[in-house]
Amino acid sequence: MRTDPNIPDADGFYEALIAAQKGLDEAESEAFLLRFALLLANQVGDQQVLLDAIAAARAMLRGENEKHG
Amino acid sequence: MAEQASAMGGGYRLPVFPYSRPAELEGKRKRHKVAVVGGGLTGLTAACDLAGRGLPVVLLDEDDTVGVRGASSRGIVYAQKTLEIFDRLGIYRRVADKGVTWSVGKVLADDDVLYSFDAAQGSLSRQPPFINLQQFYVEWYLVDRLAELPEADLRWRNRVTGIALKSDHAALAVETPEGSYTLEAQWVIDASGLASRIRQALGAPMAAELGEDRWCISDVRFAKTLPSERWTWAKAAFNDGRAVWQHPMADGVWRLDYQMGADADPQRIADPETVRDRLRRHLGAVEVEIVWVGPYGYRTQLMENFRLGRVFFAGDVAHVMNPFGARGGNSGVQDAENIAWKLAAVLTGAAPEALLDSYNEERRAAGAHNIHVTTRTIRFLAPRSPFEHRLRDAVLDLARHYDFARALVNTGRLSVPFDYAGSSLTTSGGAAVPNLAIALPDGRPGALSDLLRGAGALFLVLCFPGSAAPKLPAELARCFACNGGVGGLPVLRGDALDRIAGAGEVLVIRPDQHLAARLTRPDTPAVRAAIDKALGCVR
Repeated sequence: MRTDPNIPDADGFYEALIAAQKGLDEAESEAFLLRFALLLANQVGDQQVLLDAIAAARAMLRGENEKHG
Repeated sequence: MAEQASAMGGGYRLPVFPYSRPAELEGKRKRHKVAVVGGGLTGLTAACDLAGRGLPVVLLDEDDTVGVRGASSRGIVYAQKTLEIFDRLGIYRRVADKGVTWSVGKVLADDDVLYSFDAAQGSLSRQPPFINLQQFYVEWYLVDRLAELPEADLRWRNRVTGIALKSDHAALAVETPEGSYTLEAQWVIDASGLASRIRQALGAPMAAELGEDRWCISDVRFAKTLPSERWTWAKAAFNDGRAVWQHPMADGVWRLDYQMGADADPQRIADPETVRDRLRRHLGAVEVEIVWVGPYGYRTQLMENFRLGRVFFAGDVAHVMNPFGARGGNSGVQDAENIAWKLAAVLTGAAPEALLDSYNEERRAAGAHNIHVTTRTIRFLAPRSPFEHRLRDAVLDLARHYDFARALVNTGRLSVPFDYAGSSLTTSGGAAVPNLAIALPDGRPGALSDLLRGAGALFLVLCFPGSAAPKLPAELARCFACNGGVGGLPVLRGDALDRIAGAGEVLVIRPDQHLAARLTRPDTPAVRAAIDKALGCVR
């Protein structure tokens, strides 16, 4: 899993992410994020990277060993 | 086989097999080579395979007919590998004539077809991907086939009540209508089902798990034409947003399987009026004849070891999994084939007893794999939390629009033969070789299974042009050249052969048609070494 900056226009991406949720309630926002995550997973297409990303995200919330940073 | 009409619902007429007095009750003591306990799909396949290899086998069954009393059907889907085994055993034609051949499956969510597949695409086998047939018909054909084999001794109404393990044999306590006797056998195959008395008597360890989710099968006939395809709804409005299965069987019967709410009362969901109402919502207002209704819950069981001394556990006794993907019956048939060729190899002196340890190694790995696969399906069909439910809905939603998400929709992964790549018998390879349609050396059309049938050679060695003909004992291997001359070997021809190997390659194929080794321009010792390894010979 790469963790160096790789999004070409980070601010533009963040802006688009927020804009896409305009007018959605909490449940719809979650539904949006789930679809977004699954679409992205298919772009990645690398099993090990996907598993690493799942582990990294989980570790930041309630991981068995805190490894983020 | 004497046949009478057996009292059974659904308009089926089943055979009744005669009890005959066992020799042991006349005071004759005999040491049998192999005893098979249980005349279900697995036990009958094992007996048929052994007897077909010329090995004497005695089969004990507590009943005198096929199927399970009071239940019209268990398994219905026979997958390609099983059909290939049936082809080798000589019952394939009857299965194909009676059953419903299919290859197209559709996966739906409510009224939308998310995707469909055709398993016949790219298939290299002489057998179709799937045939659906009530399990008792398959068992019936196996019994008929066994009746043609002089080495088979079928004992109906012989109930095994206990077992004692001795140093060189097992002693089975058997009850018959005329009294009890002890049957001695060098080896025992226990295929007596999920509540095996032998397993209990031996205290063999097993992990078991029961789930809360409930399903209700309805086997029905109706005056409405539906396609001969497997349809699975991940969720269906006509079943309150839960999953539904729709499969054709023989005799115009359909199996409709409905997911029920967690902890639903089995009595209530199988109540005739409730069932009719459910069928009306699914099929509309058509005349329906209910053949059989059976509620069930999730259950998984896996024995720690599929072998205990002289006893081998096969089929449901060793592993129980959820029915998605038809992995129960089909894996039982593969268990039976696996132990049958190994026992035959040991009993004829071709292999050391150490070969028998590989039965547990290979088939327990297959059982654990099947349980893992079916458990994933359940997790998709019965999400355990509101979040899992929303994640599942996101997948279904995406699958309506994008191809990639279809791969995530899991309404059962259909049974495929287990890959023995990790087995200690495997040199290289391990996957099942499809039952290729070929022209035999005399020009007749045939298939690989024709070269592995019956008593005699165990292994099949396929030599492709550019390799050298190995010199192997005739009782160990049959060697053929493929699509070209190799050192005077008889030649097999067919385009399909070139799909599985290339120039200079030699394939060593096991008696169960799995690949033991793929070698490039090997000399005779290299081929022999692969065969020895596949026979459990430690050098």
